[in-house]
Amino acid sequence: MNKLALLVALPLITAFLLPLINRASAFAGRWTGPLVLAVTSALGISLWTQLGDNAVAVELGGFRPPLGITLYADQMAILFAVAVSLGTLLLWPNGGEDRVRQWTLALILAASGSGLALSGDLFNIYVFYELVAVVSYGLIAARASAGSYAATLRYLVVSSFGAAMALTGIALVYQATGTLNLAQLAQLAPTQLNNLQGLAAFILMLIGFGVKAELFPVNTWVPEVYATAPTRVSGLLAGVISKLALLIIVRLLVLVFHQPEALTVMLVLGIMGVITGELAAWRARDFKRMIAFSSIGQLGIMFIAFAIPGKAGIFAGLAVALHHLVVKPALFLLAERWNGSLSSLAGAGRTSPLAAALFILLALSLIGVPPLPGFWAKLLVLVELSEQAQPLYYLGAFVILAGAALEANYLFRVASRFYDRDKDPKAPAAQRIPDLATASLLCAVLAGSIFVLTPLALQIEGIATQAADATHYIQTVNPETLP
Amino acid sequence: MSMDTSLIFHIAAFGLILIGSAGIVLSTHLVRIIFGIALLEAGANLLLLLATYREGSSAPIIVDGQIPAVMADPVPQALVLTAIVIGVGILALALSLALRVQRAYGTLDLREIRQRLEQDIADEAGIELPSSIDAPQAVVKRQEGRA
Repeated sequence: MNKLALLVALPLITAFLLPLINRASAFAGRWTGPLVLAVTSALGISLWTQLGDNAVAVELGGFRPPLGITLYADQMAILFAVAVSLGTLLLWPNGGEDRVRQWTLALILAASGSGLALSGDLFNIYVFYELVAVVSYGLIAARASAGSYAATLRYLVVSSFGAAMALTGIALVYQATGTLNLAQLAQLAPTQLNNLQGLAAFILMLIGFGVKAELFPVNTWVPEVYATAPTRVSGLLAGVISKLALLIIVRLLVLVFHQPEALTVMLVLGIMGVITGELAAWRARDFKRMIAFSSIGQLGIMFIAFAIPGKAGIFAGLAVALHHLVVKPALFLLAERWNGSLSSLAGAGRTSPLAAALFILLALSLIGVPPLPGFWAKLLVLVELSEQAQPLYYLGAFVILAGAALEANYLFRVASRFYDRDKDPKAPAAQRIPDLATASLLCAVLAGSIFVLTPLALQIEGIATQAADATHYIQTVNPETLP
Repeated sequence: MSMDTSLIFHIAAFGLILIGSAGIVLSTHLVRIIFGIALLEAGANLLLLLATYREGSSAPIIVDGQIPAVMADPVPQALVLTAIVIGVGILALALSLALRVQRAYGTLDLREIRQRLEQDIADEAGIELPSSIDAPQAVVKRQEGRA
């Protein structure tokens, strides 16, 4: 089971060797990073098939859980670890003068992202989270323009505030229980953390980790960063890294915090996220910020979904998260050349017909038009919300539907502009081939999943069932503690 | 005695968190905000250290088979050490970024930086600034008066 540690260690070691490799041979330097990410993706997939329904825990350095750090891999963790590797591979930074530095940072991002998905220790999660944050500052500022520095700095302020909040939450948890191992916390939580202190700790950590997940009050950085960062980095942050933060919050909810108020807080913040995100996207007048705001709305839907208690919520949330994981990077890849105002996109349908077709496919799925996967994901969330039969959950369902109407409005507005015939101003530049190829691949995955919808749904349900089972987690990490 | 010391430290920790947060939220000067982050982190670290604080405890080292009566919990200390290192790194990064921003925009006022940033993004995209980003007239006048 050393494969599990390799998912983190391999990209990390390569990251620091990369400048040396590049000095020896530029060709090797160019291909080492993608190769390593392909290897880690393959390792992750082989682990997935090998484990099946079982989970596995690895004690790093052979130290037992209370003091040692565990890596925990169930299907959900491996899924996101593979998503990080594959996502970084697909959105590999493609140039500029300081490209070796960007590649190094991208590899560290893959390593720390996998670590975040696999870690079974609260403090270790905090460290990986900070690592992801620092690396993303570097990647965002890679364009070295005044705007990107300013956006990075404003992001850094929000993110550091969040990290300190999360650390305060961790301190509260440690004071109540004396451990930070998630399995042990799961055992102690019903007696030690089922109180006001536990709730305070959860809210602090929700705010802290929510910064990356574009949670409502701490998402001011989103439009600025996604508008100034390289588009591939934006796609990676919005598509993949935001889901990792969600994964941690879901783990905390399943294992440690069982208060109903915790779910209510998440539900309310999710609803606010959908309202603000979709309205802002509707008002946005440039392509990049439109999809940036729309990602706030989509992550709001995920928060609403994960606020449904039990397995059903994780199932619905995972479906929306996986859908967004595919759609948003593709949209950001299209934004590489369509970075101007929406009115400058007039006639884009004739200069790059394939890109326009891809955008329309992505838009339809994002809105939730059957038979595209986006429809089934949203339907699942709505059904589960209505089964809760509580006013706040009904409000959530209503807000998601209203959000879909807004999405339809602003996305179709763009799509209709592609085929504007009245005036024929200078059409936007044609898409670059690598971006278009990657976006096409993602769209093919999206369209292909229509044909395997039933097995896919069963698979996701299996993942959710396993992830929702706290006893399973405890027994995997600490086999002797439970009968 | 022990109760009092612990209480004082807890007040100090939450006080630092409060002062730091207030500094981040209320200040507009970048250096003050960065100091706010430093104070906030110091508060969080202190709180973590206090989590298993015991009065009069000694280092958990067994010398000549003598087990100390009250041992300190080494785990939070190790954690705080890590957190401090991360905090210092981020502080350095924040200051260097602030330097870059100051060179580019010639200001350390976060409101001005935000306006310049919005203007930059709008210029790049070829759109006009949305009307809601405009500062209220009173603020504009005050800034003009200062300049």
